[in-house]
Amino acid sequence: MTAPANKVGIERTASPFVDSVRLARLASLSRAELEALQLRKLLQQLTRLNSTSSYYRARMQQAGIDPTKLASLDEFRARFPLSNKADFLADQTSQPPFGGRLGIAREEVALVNMTGGTSGQGQEIYGRSQHDVHMQGYLHALPWFLAGLRPGDIAVNCVPAGGLTTGGWGPGEGLRIIGATAFHIGGALSTDAKIDLMQRIGEVHFIYASTNYLHTLTEAMLRRGLEPKRAFPMLRTLFIAAEGYPLEWATRIEALWGCRLQEGYGSTQCAGFGASTCADGVFSPSGGRGLMHMFEWETLFEVVHPETLEPVASGETGEMVVTNLSIEGSPVIRFRTGDAARFMSWRDAGSGRAWNAIECGTIGRFDDMLKIRGNNVWPSAIDAAVFSFGEIAEYAGRVYTSSDGKTEIEVRVAFTDAVAGLDDGTRARLVERVRTTIKERTNVWMTLVVCDRSELPEFNYKARRWKDERQQGYRL
Amino acid sequence: MSKLENTADQAARDHRILLRMLADADALCGSGDALLVGQYRHLRGRIAALINITMPAGNTEHAA
Repeated sequence: MTAPANKVGIERTASPFVDSVRLARLASLSRAELEALQLRKLLQQLTRLNSTSSYYRARMQQAGIDPTKLASLDEFRARFPLSNKADFLADQTSQPPFGGRLGIAREEVALVNMTGGTSGQGQEIYGRSQHDVHMQGYLHALPWFLAGLRPGDIAVNCVPAGGLTTGGWGPGEGLRIIGATAFHIGGALSTDAKIDLMQRIGEVHFIYASTNYLHTLTEAMLRRGLEPKRAFPMLRTLFIAAEGYPLEWATRIEALWGCRLQEGYGSTQCAGFGASTCADGVFSPSGGRGLMHMFEWETLFEVVHPETLEPVASGETGEMVVTNLSIEGSPVIRFRTGDAARFMSWRDAGSGRAWNAIECGTIGRFDDMLKIRGNNVWPSAIDAAVFSFGEIAEYAGRVYTSSDGKTEIEVRVAFTDAVAGLDDGTRARLVERVRTTIKERTNVWMTLVVCDRSELPEFNYKARRWKDERQQGYRL
Repeated sequence: MSKLENTADQAARDHRILLRMLADADALCGSGDALLVGQYRHLRGRIAALINITMPAGNTEHAA
């Protein structure tokens, strides 16, 4: 389904390529110049790791690679062995806590980050140097500058700060690097208390939140009778990350907040953001999905078919493979992220820059995929179906085995307060439309149950809306 | 002189300044003051990162 073009009459932010000579230069590089810069940085990185990291030295020896003689990016991609999460966990187990991939002296570790562990396999651990702490800040500041954030602006960070995650520390560094005045309200306050504080601040220019939390925040404001664009008329940028969304939702969000929605793709492995919409917003000029342009001079990206490991063609979906060009502590070199993204080559991206891109709003996880009745069902696809209806406030799903051994799927949906006045017949027809839309996007019929909003969880960061309980169904 | 060459000159000059600052920060890191040395390392890390961030992007900057 194609969403209507963004109808919000929002002026674009000041051009980052006018405001920064450095960015203008990076934007003017030819593809050959960009790849030459990547190769130069890559050779420095590999040469350093060959002498400092037992993990990567072993991989280079295994592949017979002499980093001083690597002639091209193509040769690197063809010969350097891939790593995955299991490789890193085994490395950490054999040389705790950081593993042989650390690449700097333990005494040089200034920040420890870990992945979330939501995969159930374990948490990767990353030791970052003082240099890397700044780089992680820069890799947050970069997309936000591109999105319009400027020195002196007031920024509200809704992502929980601190702790062990990269997302807990990178935003603070990034906002300090930019020179913005930052309020880190994520995790520390209830949603209503956040809204109260934001109203006291008043002149908010920039909000950073997970896709899901921006939804929660918007919903809470509307519940209180607050129209976001009137409450925060100075807001220039909403910046989201972490989760997919339907374009209908993005259209509504821009209309409600009266400003442009921007998106970034990032991860601990990227040490921050690796791509963003720049200043273009999440819509293409024709009203379809926009693109996130990759910061390829800092991170080398490949998008590969998850089984053949061959590069996917422009327009196809593949797995993101990441190589850090500038990170020195626990860098990743040809790491399989498990992230699924639709690749768009720089030629097709049409930005005038030689940067490759990935599609907005459709990033998924290969390991989140649910196999249901022979269909590959992505939670992001169900999100897109459900939240294409503005009447739905939240939902949660579970896949389970019924008493007679069949796979069943239950989706519990909660309506917004605006729907409270609808009669039973209208509500029933709405539920059926949601159910049909899910079927259209997943090829699976699911059972919908309407519940109260309070029965569903509120997510502060990444939403975990799905539970696969099928294993429990077979327990004796 | 073209705008690109001007920009390249400026970028190359900034990069050279940062390289000199890194050498100075390295010297500070050799300080025997245990209270200050961590702070010097903090400063050195920031400068080293900026050297990465401002690395000459193309042949024009190299020539400058």
